[in-house]
Amino acid sequence: MSVITPPRKDHTRTSDLRLVLHQVRYEQKAFWINKVGALFTIGFSVLFLVMLGATNGKQTISYLGNITNDDYYVPGFIAYGIMSACFSMLTVNIVVRRETGLLKRLRLTPLPTWALLVSIFISTAIVAVAQVVVLLLIGRFGYAVPFPREWLAFLFVIVVGIASFTAMGMAISSVIPNQETAGPVTSVAFFVLLFLSGLWFPLQASSGLAKFSNFFPVRHLLLAVRAPFEQQPGVSPWAWHDLGIVVAWGIVAAVVAMRRFRWSPHRN
Amino acid sequence: MSFEVARGDVFALLGPNGAGKTTTIEILEGFLKRDSGDVRVLGVDPGVHANQRWLRSRVGVVLQELAVESFFTVRQVLERNAGFYPEPRAVDEVIELVGLRDKADVKVKKLSGGQQRRLDIGLGIVGNPLLLFLDEPTTGLDPAARRMTWELIRTLSQQGTTVMLSSHYMDEVEALACHVVVLSKGRIAASGTPSSLGGRDLGKVAISFSIPPGISVTDLPVAPSGCQGQRIEISTDCELEVLSRLTSWALVKDIQLVGLSVTRQTLEDVYLGLTRESLASSDGPRS
Repeated sequence: MSVITPPRKDHTRTSDLRLVLHQVRYEQKAFWINKVGALFTIGFSVLFLVMLGATNGKQTISYLGNITNDDYYVPGFIAYGIMSACFSMLTVNIVVRRETGLLKRLRLTPLPTWALLVSIFISTAIVAVAQVVVLLLIGRFGYAVPFPREWLAFLFVIVVGIASFTAMGMAISSVIPNQETAGPVTSVAFFVLLFLSGLWFPLQASSGLAKFSNFFPVRHLLLAVRAPFEQQPGVSPWAWHDLGIVVAWGIVAAVVAMRRFRWSPHRN
Repeated sequence: MSFEVARGDVFALLGPNGAGKTTTIEILEGFLKRDSGDVRVLGVDPGVHANQRWLRSRVGVVLQELAVESFFTVRQVLERNAGFYPEPRAVDEVIELVGLRDKADVKVKKLSGGQQRRLDIGLGIVGNPLLLFLDEPTTGLDPAARRMTWELIRTLSQQGTTVMLSSHYMDEVEALACHVVVLSKGRIAASGTPSSLGGRDLGKVAISFSIPPGISVTDLPVAPSGCQGQRIEISTDCELEVLSRLTSWALVKDIQLVGLSVTRQTLEDVYLGLTRESLASSDGPRS
């Protein structure tokens, strides 16, 4: 079969950079239009930090070199902010868009797959970075938690965290078949791991719980974000071991995501 | 299955649900991989990944059941999609063409079903396509919106856009299409112009009228082929001769032929005949 129309002799196509910027603009618009959703995503980490800081922020943790709870919570919720934006929020976003047919509609346009994925990544990163900045400022000026001692290490961890957890969000979204379960499944899995990884209460490195959660990337991101905040001399701000495990999870997830990514809803 | 479509034509793909219309369209626009055969769209193979971006910037697609971000306004959605294309149509022009000027700044979720369908069509044409696929474009539209969509399709066709249409409405196909293909079980059951499909132009003509009071069937100058109550039906190949004899007889006798009508088989009759035939046999006719 053939649908013949003599092709117009032109080689015009939208420049890749313009295309990505255009799509990022609409990804951001879509995020901020839903004000409750946006507030929830960004506000949750802030709310937790403020609540916990108000409850027991000044207590010190003896087995972590006598840092205060606030010192512990600020990096923790920065890691949480990254994970909630790049993992929970992204997963639900992709599943809902795929299952309602929004991705399929985009598939019919000249927007290439990579450009859509890059745009989603950039847009998610913007939300994550916004949270990191807000949390850093609240920590510094609300709870007197010093800024990271080593900015380069801090920025590196943020980039690695965003990239790896975005890949994990994409991978998880590719195995969730419908939008009704997307929210509950990701939230429960995410919060259980956060709990076991010592976000709300510090874990002793030798405890069984720590050993169990060491298998998952959540605890490693928490540790990796905290390292650049360490004020004690002699403690490296580069948590290479933790970073390595986060990256390894990210790479596996990226492979799964690329293989399993689909545009059309499962019901078709 | 084999067919070709020329530039600027409106081409209709018909067939019962499950006959393969949507599959055919999805293969043509590169969404589905074909199992075998040769396909060229605008001169290139839609199954080849490297062609897809080029093709998608020159082909508009309006599928059934496609979602639009409900929280965006009509204008936002159109502007977003326009940004994907190298030579988009002006967004205001699209809004005008699909008749959504009053709704331009209304959120998609506030639109009625028919208005959403028109927005679908708007999204199909915003890229200024050379070729437009319309999968049942007027299903769910009210009669006025349907007519407006027809006008839009005619305008696009006059401007040189090739339109490939699938529809369940035979009047729509008759009003718009220059060429029709009827699919049945993934094969072509018939193809031709709407007026000649399935030998429709050569088939018998049905002449009917109500029998005048006081006249018996045997008084008629031509033998009727059927009679339903007061209604006389004559089925004939030579409609001119029959009509001439009938009307001159009526004039001479000063008789009124109430409700006189002359009809060919409708496109729907032909279509139903074609698809019923192939539903009955396990292997549909090939073309």
